[in-house]
Amino acid sequence: MSKDLPAEDPLVRMQRDLKRVLKKNPKEIHWGMVIDIAKCIGCHACTIGCVAENKLPPGVVYRVVLEEETGHYPQVRRRFVPRPCLHCQNPPCTKVCPVTATWKTEQGAVIVDYNRCIGCRYCLVACPYAARTSDFGEWYTADTAELPGKLYGQKAAANGYEAHPAAEYGKKWPERDHGSPVGNARKCHFCLHRLKVGMLPACTTTCIGRATIFGDRTDPESLVYEMIGSPRVFRLKEELGTRPSVYYLM
Amino acid sequence: MNEKYFKTLFGIAGLGLIIGTVGLINFLVYGKSTLALGSYIPWGLWVSLYTFFLGLTAGAFLITILTYVFRIKIFSGIGPLSAFTVVVTIVAEIIIITLDLGHPLRLYRIFITPGFKSMIFWMVFFTVAMLVIYILETYYLLREDLIQWSQDPGIKNRKIYQYLALGRTAYSEEDRLQDQRRVHRLSLLSIPVGLFFYGSNGAVFAVLLNRPIWNSTLTPLLFIISALVSGGALIVLLTFMFKRDDKVIHLLAHTVRFLLVVMLILEFLHFFISYQWDVVYIVTALDLILYGPYWWNFWFIHLLLGSLLPLYLMIVYPDDSRKLAWACFFIVFTFIAFRLNFVIPDQAVYKLEGLDASYFHDRLRTTYVPNLTEWLVSVWVMSLGVLAFLLGTRWLPVIQAGRGEEEHV
Repeated sequence: MSKDLPAEDPLVRMQRDLKRVLKKNPKEIHWGMVIDIAKCIGCHACTIGCVAENKLPPGVVYRVVLEEETGHYPQVRRRFVPRPCLHCQNPPCTKVCPVTATWKTEQGAVIVDYNRCIGCRYCLVACPYAARTSDFGEWYTADTAELPGKLYGQKAAANGYEAHPAAEYGKKWPERDHGSPVGNARKCHFCLHRLKVGMLPACTTTCIGRATIFGDRTDPESLVYEMIGSPRVFRLKEELGTRPSVYYLM
Repeated sequence: MNEKYFKTLFGIAGLGLIIGTVGLINFLVYGKSTLALGSYIPWGLWVSLYTFFLGLTAGAFLITILTYVFRIKIFSGIGPLSAFTVVVTIVAEIIIITLDLGHPLRLYRIFITPGFKSMIFWMVFFTVAMLVIYILETYYLLREDLIQWSQDPGIKNRKIYQYLALGRTAYSEEDRLQDQRRVHRLSLLSIPVGLFFYGSNGAVFAVLLNRPIWNSTLTPLLFIISALVSGGALIVLLTFMFKRDDKVIHLLAHTVRFLLVVMLILEFLHFFISYQWDVVYIVTALDLILYGPYWWNFWFIHLLLGSLLPLYLMIVYPDDSRKLAWACFFIVFTFIAFRLNFVIPDQAVYKLEGLDASYFHDRLRTTYVPNLTEWLVSVWVMSLGVLAFLLGTRWLPVIQAGRGEEEHV
């Protein structure tokens, strides 16, 4: 066996870090993420894992993987950059909300109160990373017999899977109709509902290349803290002064 | 106003309202999924229309200031008409932007859980303030005639005017002086409120660092000047149609001509400076405006029909009221092109490399064309505004109340 292979799966390390961190005073936790671009293979598992975890409807996506092709043949390469919400420490999106429906928590996650959001989409326009999406009320089962309400006696016929939103923010949301989160701005929230029960975010768990590292960025014992100290680290659009909590390794 | 023109306009607006209702019902029943907007271009036709209506208020706002604060008597004939125009256009503005919200019924939250750092909060605040000021101002300007109409046995439905007159049956000289003082004070108050009203609307766009086309100190100024151009042109048109006064038309049209030149210079500077930066995503957005699929919106509708043709008419025929009115007609009705060219192009450029290939869905694209539902609802709102205005000029003494003002209070 190669001596270069890690002795421990980073997921196991992160899980251990998380367990330790959750015992701390919540005010002392500051969530952060490091994404190693050198390890990302562009499989988009994190995108789909997030969509599945949060039951995201069509047109709503929290974590995309940017794909860039650079160079001229034969010196061409592709670069993959997963882009969740960067949970900026100086978020431009929270300032623009006219009803204070979005804010940065003490632990550094930028969240949205679906019941307060009026759907003006100013935060979407303000985000430099296009990390927010608006839920326009679309259905995967549109134009099919599976769409709830399409058939007489629909409850029996329709699958109903997408009629029941995921328990984002730990809340049970009503059946999908015109009510929230339809009409709201939606975004990555670091899977707070999973963190609450001691689980890592879905994108972190599902990453097959172990390119996504998550944890308390101020905990010196955590893997994410070590990664942030790497000389390869950078953040997107640093010149805007947003200070994202998501770091990248070149 | 000529009865034939009134009936024609009324007919067109009525037809527009009926046709637009189809789109409105579709939108109200099936929700936001009926729109062509997306998450990368979340602000489209309706936000552009909002800024268009905003612009239309400015000319009327200026007239009321000149008449009731600075006592420039020449405009006193169109004072009440101008105040009423502000009310109608602000209401139209509120309707279109409320429809654009994901949850319009939660709009009250702006006052319950306000975000003071948000420019939209201040925009709503000053919009409501302007509306309240101008509803009161219009009321006090019309009160004398409302009371007269309520007592005139020759007027049909006198009871409505009795309600509007709040039961008053007499109107003395003292009442007139008091109402004039109130109008003067309200107009005085409308100056700072109005400046913040127009400025905050520009600031909504200007404060966003990641939007280089909008993020400029020139933006609020461009908003104010462009509002005065479109609003001033509207007032010229309304004066020609409803209360023809050639002196007023010539004076206002010459002012609009000057402001139009200033606006074009500012617009040129905006393009020139932005091109000088030579940053790819800025140049891409500018190229979209000038050479993109909708190049004709800029060159043909905004520049040729909406700017150069009116300038030609206003320079070559400075004393022909009819031609000046036509020039202003072109300015007003093409101004939506200017607003669309401001709101959409910056959003139509991906701000992160590789975002276009990251996820495939119609709502995650930087191409946007307003669909039929959006156009129909827009037609509905515009028709409603025109009908409200026409009926207001018939059922309220908006025209009749414009008479010579006192020298000073």
